[in-house]
Amino acid sequence: MKKNYTLKRQADYWLGEFTVMASPCQILLDNLDEALAHRLTALAYAEAKRIELKFSRFRDDNIIARLNNTDNETIALDEETTRLINLADLCFQLSGGLFDISSGVLGKLWHFKQQTQLPNDADIKALLPNIGWQKSSWNAPLLRLPKGMQIDLGGIGKEYAVDKVAQLLQLQDCGAFLVNFGGDIYANKLRNNGDAWQVAIEDPQRLGESKLMVSLAQGGLASSGDSQRFIDIDGQRYSHILNPKTGYPIVGGPAQVTVYAQNCVQAGMLATIALLQGEFAEDFLKEQDCRYWL
Amino acid sequence: MQLKSKNKTFTNISISLAAATCALAAPVTAQPSESDSWNVDAGLLIYVESDEQVQAYEGALSITKQIDDERSINVKGVIDVLTGASPNGAVAQNRAQTFTRPSGNGTYTTAAGDTPLDDTFRDTRVALSTQYQHQLSRLWLYSGGVYLSKEYDYLALSINSALARDFNNRNTTASAGFAYAYDTIEPEGGIPIAGVSVDEADNRLTDSDTKQTLDLLFGVTQVINRQALMQFNYSLSDVSGYQTDPFKILSVVDSNGWANDYVYENRPEQRSKQSLFWRTKYNLQPSGQVLDVSYRYFWDDWGITSHTIDSKWRVQLSNQHFIEPHLRYYSQQAADFYRVYLDENQPIPEYMTADYRLGELQTYTIGLKYGLPIAGNEFSVRLEYYLTQVTGDDSLAKGAGMAGVDLYPDKSAIMLQSFYRF
Repeated sequence: MKKNYTLKRQADYWLGEFTVMASPCQILLDNLDEALAHRLTALAYAEAKRIELKFSRFRDDNIIARLNNTDNETIALDEETTRLINLADLCFQLSGGLFDISSGVLGKLWHFKQQTQLPNDADIKALLPNIGWQKSSWNAPLLRLPKGMQIDLGGIGKEYAVDKVAQLLQLQDCGAFLVNFGGDIYANKLRNNGDAWQVAIEDPQRLGESKLMVSLAQGGLASSGDSQRFIDIDGQRYSHILNPKTGYPIVGGPAQVTVYAQNCVQAGMLATIALLQGEFAEDFLKEQDCRYWL
Repeated sequence: MQLKSKNKTFTNISISLAAATCALAAPVTAQPSESDSWNVDAGLLIYVESDEQVQAYEGALSITKQIDDERSINVKGVIDVLTGASPNGAVAQNRAQTFTRPSGNGTYTTAAGDTPLDDTFRDTRVALSTQYQHQLSRLWLYSGGVYLSKEYDYLALSINSALARDFNNRNTTASAGFAYAYDTIEPEGGIPIAGVSVDEADNRLTDSDTKQTLDLLFGVTQVINRQALMQFNYSLSDVSGYQTDPFKILSVVDSNGWANDYVYENRPEQRSKQSLFWRTKYNLQPSGQVLDVSYRYFWDDWGITSHTIDSKWRVQLSNQHFIEPHLRYYSQQAADFYRVYLDENQPIPEYMTADYRLGELQTYTIGLKYGLPIAGNEFSVRLEYYLTQVTGDDSLAKGAGMAGVDLYPDKSAIMLQSFYRF
């Protein structure tokens, strides 16, 4: 039977790899027997894939598709979706409306695929009425989106998958592990030999070269940035982080933000909300009592 | 390096985020799709006082239904049965005493040296209440309810209403509420005339009387940090109407300490009560222990002041079991018109009571709660021990009639409570 993942023996750990959510995903398992490493990697893949299928906005058979095709009708959400929407709602409020899961439609204009010129301003303005989480009605577990609004949990989904997989692995009582889904990371504890995991943070300016190494014993690490997706027009770098209020990219901010927090979702939300502050990203991070790298 | 055009200040949001993200990846509880908007809580309680005084058995059932996205309603029913005897207010004597029952029909006798207890205490109470909650908007929550309880000689009706609003990234909640209650008492035999002898042939006033209570409550709840929550409340209560206990009497004692007569007590028709409440909940991470400490200061215009210190400490054991020790201390000063007994040679005062509950007392409570999941739902049992020490001037036990008697007997009680949510 063909497996959806690969498992390799490294110097002193097992490396399970697969691709989910269009990201390279890795599970590092400290000193286990091979059968257990196979079982845990398969479990991690299954959970990550489940989350992708359930929350991807590119499918027509899941809750996101159902929500995005309603005509102002109220839909009761299951507990898992309720928790994610609750978090998105909280982030919307904590960020003063900058973190907005209804801003995904802007991606139609700002797709960053060999884009050499700015989208038409009139086209951007035409999308703005469909954006703005405050226009939705959210009273857990019931959500009503106004007609035309589309939500996208892509800004939370990968970090959530990391924490969820980590939580599943933790229940298996399998020793030290590290989950890395495209740079969003969680490690559960010090390795068997007493060392922390060494994580390389990529420098967006010099792709492929490692900028700095971070020791991660326990907790979440997440990065947000425009290292791979941006437009350079007339010397101005337009990041893929968009301001939902204007429809335009945030300018003047750092290229990339990496944050360490208790879990991966928290790290990811702090990194994203920091980038949304543009030139004030670091001022914001300084207030958060967290470790960060710019 | 690029110079920034201006400075901007930010608040710390990582605490709110940490709280929200911690629970995110926790296992989703399996729920049957049909009944997930219904919650049922069931409880049973047994309360037994020492020396065969009051015994109470109570069963409660509470059902909460989520009506739609914004509204929920709770309906609760309680039945309790009380039996046993309670102090009638008269002092112990060095001889047997015989009392007329509060109804006026028949008598009962108390042995020498014993605190007189009225043994006709028996009642069944049924209470029904409903509470409605409405999330008016993201930040505003309304709650309102109606309460009704009926026992043999007492009917209580009340309504309440409250509004709460979240501020400051939902770290602060302010609330204001009121409650209005209308109670009717219809004691068997009628309302006795205060200060008149229980043996007087025509000592009844009317069949029934009423009491009205208006409560106002103001509160603030503040999230201090990821671990701590603090709550402050101020409440004001105005009671008017019949507040006397028609079953309570006072001994009228002669210069030798002998009670030759007993009169019905009398309490003012007006009472204004106030209290200040402070509470802190501290959640110790990562052990999951919760420390809950509160203090209440209460005062009223009857001259009663009281202090309550309450602490609970919840310790999480393995497999979702928990234990929760409970300690409580309560100290009260007597009402201005509290008398242990009346002096035969003095005029009868306008207001007087010998009810120990309005006297000087301290109550100590020690308890333990144990919780465990049964079929995926929380089940808990609580056992508590109460000791009430009534205190006062011991030199009042004088003369041949009272020399050596205990005017302020301690009272103790045990309560066993079980609770199941499904």
